[in-house]
Amino acid sequence: MIQLTDIEKVYRTKTIETVALNRVNLQIERGEFVSIMGPSGCGKSTLLNIMGLLDEPTSGFVAIDGQPVKTHSDSKLAKLRNEKIGFVFQSYHLIHDLSVVDNVELPLLYRSVSASDRRKRALEALEKVGLSARTKHFPNQLSGGQRQRVAIARALAGNPEIILADEPTGNLDSVMGEEIMDILLRLNQEEGTTIVMVTHDENMALKTNRLIRFFDGQQVADSMVIEAQI
Amino acid sequence: MIRHLFKLIWNQKKSNFLLITEIFFSFLVLFAVLSFILYNYHNYTQPLGFKYDKVWQLWLSPNTDSAAHNIAVQQQMIQRVRSFPEVEHASFSNSNTPFAFSQMNAGMSYKSKKDVFSEVFDVQDDYKNVMGIEVSRGRWFGPQDNGSLHDPIVINKKLQEELFGDEDPIGKLIPIDDSTQYAVIGVVDHYRSYSEFDPEKAAYFHRINLEKDKNSIWNGLVIKVKPGAGVAFEEKMVRELSRISKDWTIEVTTQEKMRQSKAKVTTVPMIAMSLVCGFLIINVALGLFGVLWYNINRRYAEIGLRRAIGASSKQIRNQFVGEVLVIATFGLLLGLLLAAQFPLLNVFQLSSVIYWESIGAAAFLIFLLAIVCAIYPSRQASKIFPAVALHEE
Repeated sequence: MIQLTDIEKVYRTKTIETVALNRVNLQIERGEFVSIMGPSGCGKSTLLNIMGLLDEPTSGFVAIDGQPVKTHSDSKLAKLRNEKIGFVFQSYHLIHDLSVVDNVELPLLYRSVSASDRRKRALEALEKVGLSARTKHFPNQLSGGQRQRVAIARALAGNPEIILADEPTGNLDSVMGEEIMDILLRLNQEEGTTIVMVTHDENMALKTNRLIRFFDGQQVADSMVIEAQI
Repeated sequence: MIRHLFKLIWNQKKSNFLLITEIFFSFLVLFAVLSFILYNYHNYTQPLGFKYDKVWQLWLSPNTDSAAHNIAVQQQMIQRVRSFPEVEHASFSNSNTPFAFSQMNAGMSYKSKKDVFSEVFDVQDDYKNVMGIEVSRGRWFGPQDNGSLHDPIVINKKLQEELFGDEDPIGKLIPIDDSTQYAVIGVVDHYRSYSEFDPEKAAYFHRINLEKDKNSIWNGLVIKVKPGAGVAFEEKMVRELSRISKDWTIEVTTQEKMRQSKAKVTTVPMIAMSLVCGFLIINVALGLFGVLWYNINRRYAEIGLRRAIGASSKQIRNQFVGEVLVIATFGLLLGLLLAAQFPLLNVFQLSSVIYWESIGAAAFLIFLLAIVCAIYPSRQASKIFPAVALHEE
């Protein structure tokens, strides 16, 4: 589903060169729930951004569904992000001036979807995350866990094949974190959504199918979770 | 997307309130200035009804009280002026010649129409030739009017419409007092002499008969000179006339100079208002630019999010331009509520077309301003790299 080949990402300034990712090769299969772990600054988020077509590698190739994306135009990349990928961020990234349902509708605004269909799909997504009673609320009226559920609903509204979650439980307490993890697990198991999740929480990572560990921009381990637990 | 933008701006109405207010006032100022300019331009494009080219204006004022002497001098002067080979035509008139800072008015009544206000121009038979006036119905004054029972007048179409409506005005008698009645002998389509920027008013020409009227002194003398008549002729003419009228003051100017001088009365405030308006627009532009710039910096993470969920850089650019246009629309709608009262209530009796044109032009300028101010910041927003923007928060 997602294939990364010899990915390198180097940040250069006039005086310093920082290697964020060093020759990363990774294949994510359809329906997998992959967690990526590693210390801060090891390149996890950079990797997720490259997978999500939000950033370009300095060298190497990214392919989605077997199609290399290097030559894609900005609008084609935007279309791919819109139709295939859903994002969940640690800090939710909700628009505070829009109601919950309007936030969830956002990805559909960039498609040719009628207003009534947009609303229907947004409400369905909110129902999946258990927020049907909060559709007219604004983000500042919600708890952290509820905000993250809105962010997941927003990712789901576009019916993506892949969800990329960057520390989705990072800002939440353990109870809320569990709730969010349960939603992601359900999506993966019941709807077959491919999920790649960056996390610092070993317990959360152990609930996924596959665990990849990073250190200093390099992939140092890649194992199925059963094996990892052993 | 348009609905989304309206919803977004409506939800941000508190933070956009000042900007909307600024656009509201800018629209009203623009509307006022444009109404003034369009009103004057509209008048400027209307026919004057006369030609001022090669027409000289002499101002004559006697310095003695001897009426008989002054009348005699007046007769000699007009005869001398007409005898110059450089002069084609000459006519006495009142001081309200074209582009003069002088007006004479009178009220007229005819049947049920009472006190129709009209400009009065006392002129000689040759005035038509001096000013190149064309009579569209009836005739101009002539020697045949010397023995007329009634005072002949030539009216303009505006007075005809106001006084007679659809009736044929020729031959109609208008009572002035117990002993005087005016007889309409002709109609001119237009006569708009006060200023090129003034609207046409009801007007009539009243005949000066020097033979009959032995008591009036006419301050104005307009002459049509032949091509080539210049300063040398002016000096010669003044010298000759001074010889006839030793104790009179004589001033000479041209209708062209008078026109220019009169035009300044309108154009100077018009330019001043435009400059003030221009500064205001620059201020609004800077405000719009600044607010948009600030908004983009404040909404860095939102830009990143929108890019992540599928907005292309072009869509980001369009969104920010669209938001400014929506803000402008809110300001304009408020302004329109007020501005629309002017044509609807016929304020200042201006043509409603001028008001609607001003509203349209002011709205167009506001939108243009909004787009111009939004283009650069929006382009910068569209260039923000999503991964960087998302990292900002």
